[in-house]
Amino acid sequence: MKGKNSVQVFLSRSAKYIFVLPGLSLFIFAVVIPFFMGLNIAFTDWNGISPNYHYVGLKNFLSVFKDSRMTLPVKNSLKFALIGPVVNNALAIGLALMLNQKYKKLTSVAKLIFFMPVCFSSVLSAFIWNFIYKNVFSAVLGINSPLGSKFWVIPAIIVIGLWNGVGVGMMIYLSALKSVPEELYESAKMDGASSFKCFFHITIPMLTPAYTTCVTLSLTNYLREFATTLSATGGGPARASETISIYIFDNLYTYNKAGYGQALSLLFMIILIFISTGVSTFFRKMEVEL
Amino acid sequence: MVMKNKVNWNKKMKSVPGIAITLFFAFLFLFPLYIAVVTSFKTQMETANNVLALPKQLFWENYTEALRISKFGRAIWNSAYITILSVFFLVLFSAMGGYAIARNRNNRFLRILERVYLSSMMLPFQILMIPIYKIFKTLHLQNNLNGVVLVLIGTSLAYPTFLIAGFVKTVPRELEDAARIDGCGPYQLFFKIVFPLLSPIISTVTALQTMWIWNDFNTSLILLQKDSVRTLTVKQFYFFGQYAVDYNMAFAAAIISMIPILIFFCVAQRYLVAGISSGAVKG
Repeated sequence: MKGKNSVQVFLSRSAKYIFVLPGLSLFIFAVVIPFFMGLNIAFTDWNGISPNYHYVGLKNFLSVFKDSRMTLPVKNSLKFALIGPVVNNALAIGLALMLNQKYKKLTSVAKLIFFMPVCFSSVLSAFIWNFIYKNVFSAVLGINSPLGSKFWVIPAIIVIGLWNGVGVGMMIYLSALKSVPEELYESAKMDGASSFKCFFHITIPMLTPAYTTCVTLSLTNYLREFATTLSATGGGPARASETISIYIFDNLYTYNKAGYGQALSLLFMIILIFISTGVSTFFRKMEVEL
Repeated sequence: MVMKNKVNWNKKMKSVPGIAITLFFAFLFLFPLYIAVVTSFKTQMETANNVLALPKQLFWENYTEALRISKFGRAIWNSAYITILSVFFLVLFSAMGGYAIARNRNNRFLRILERVYLSSMMLPFQILMIPIYKIFKTLHLQNNLNGVVLVLIGTSLAYPTFLIAGFVKTVPRELEDAARIDGCGPYQLFFKIVFPLLSPIISTVTALQTMWIWNDFNTSLILLQKDSVRTLTVKQFYFFGQYAVDYNMAFAAAIISMIPILIFFCVAQRYLVAGISSGAVKG
């Protein structure tokens, strides 16, 4: 009798730990352990297949800087990160403004149309667009698929990503637009401000909290660009769209250099965290200044 | 009267560009789907003659052929299995964890845990990819759907836990206190009283996670190499790469693979929109 009681007391006292336990154990299994194993692997010459490996010290980290194969993926990822977020956010804001018009029926249908592709996998989107680029572009516009051109391949992949993902940013901007108080516009209009002025002095600054989310998100996503590119081009033509993520993946599966790939991904992570905290702090500061 | 008409007319004229641009973009966004549907019903000859035209008659053979060759049925089943299992436990575990974290602000361990969850959201998948692959190799869990479920729950957990903890803070404690006074234990309290109160955030989290896990590519790509266990996205990845020749059949397969997620989208669209609009986006 007494034993049962103490078990009950224990169970109800430690309830908060028991609540976090199932999730935490899976988190440890899938994130914490792999993370520390990764730190270990980065200092070895493990090839990804054999059970044996040797510790090589800092060699992997040093060879990242001497790796001539690395230049192109870095350049490509930067290209993605420079073009992608700009186009993505510009289009997302444009669509949100469009949906913020007063034609209820039209805009609610259009909203769903712009948002729907978000539910498709990047593999599927890449496949559909691959066909459009290859067959429709040649038949209708008489030009070759931009995915085959070293110059156009990255913009072409960005377009696929826009169709597939711009709905996310659009929704965030739209809810930010809806939350701008109507009185602001009214009093500005009374003061004789043109709608042009209203847009640049009210709408654009009032969206700042949404920029924080959307710019940070799109920037880190484009820096990590992987699935769409892998399925659209596999990194081609002639590595012209190979990103850092694809290069890391290839080190494990194609080049059998898991240790090196892991060192690379560690450096990559540090840079990513650095950039994303930097960008989000920048926008947070702007929010405060408002 | 004339004046009023003129004002209305002017108003109407002003709205034309806005409507026109909206329609233009709507068609632009629908165009890829139009191409996909149309191509899936045409013969190869028809596609070669005119990619844009509607099919003269519905060529269903593409679909029967796609069903036979693509084996997407199996892949859809695998994806459904992984998604349902992962989302169910993900929601349950993150609700439990989020509740414990939100209601024990002065507990040091739980405070640190919240920090750890938050910072883990910044980790790119690439950093876990090689070690997870290694763990699965050593444990012989490769090509095991349940293994993938464990990884998907573990790697996705932080974000919903964070969202739910945030929501719990807005739920008043009075109800819980009253139940406690009536002698309700912590477990009963959570499942009978708190969990139902969380339904707004639970439905958002369920909708978003279902969409993300159904479309998961990275985890399944590295852990599922055997054809029979591949999920839909991975299957698509290899299938489209292989059958780029017979586009008509491949598009039929694409349409088949769209159906489950489109049905889900129609059903859960309200929650997806609500979730994403509030800034619930995966980093």
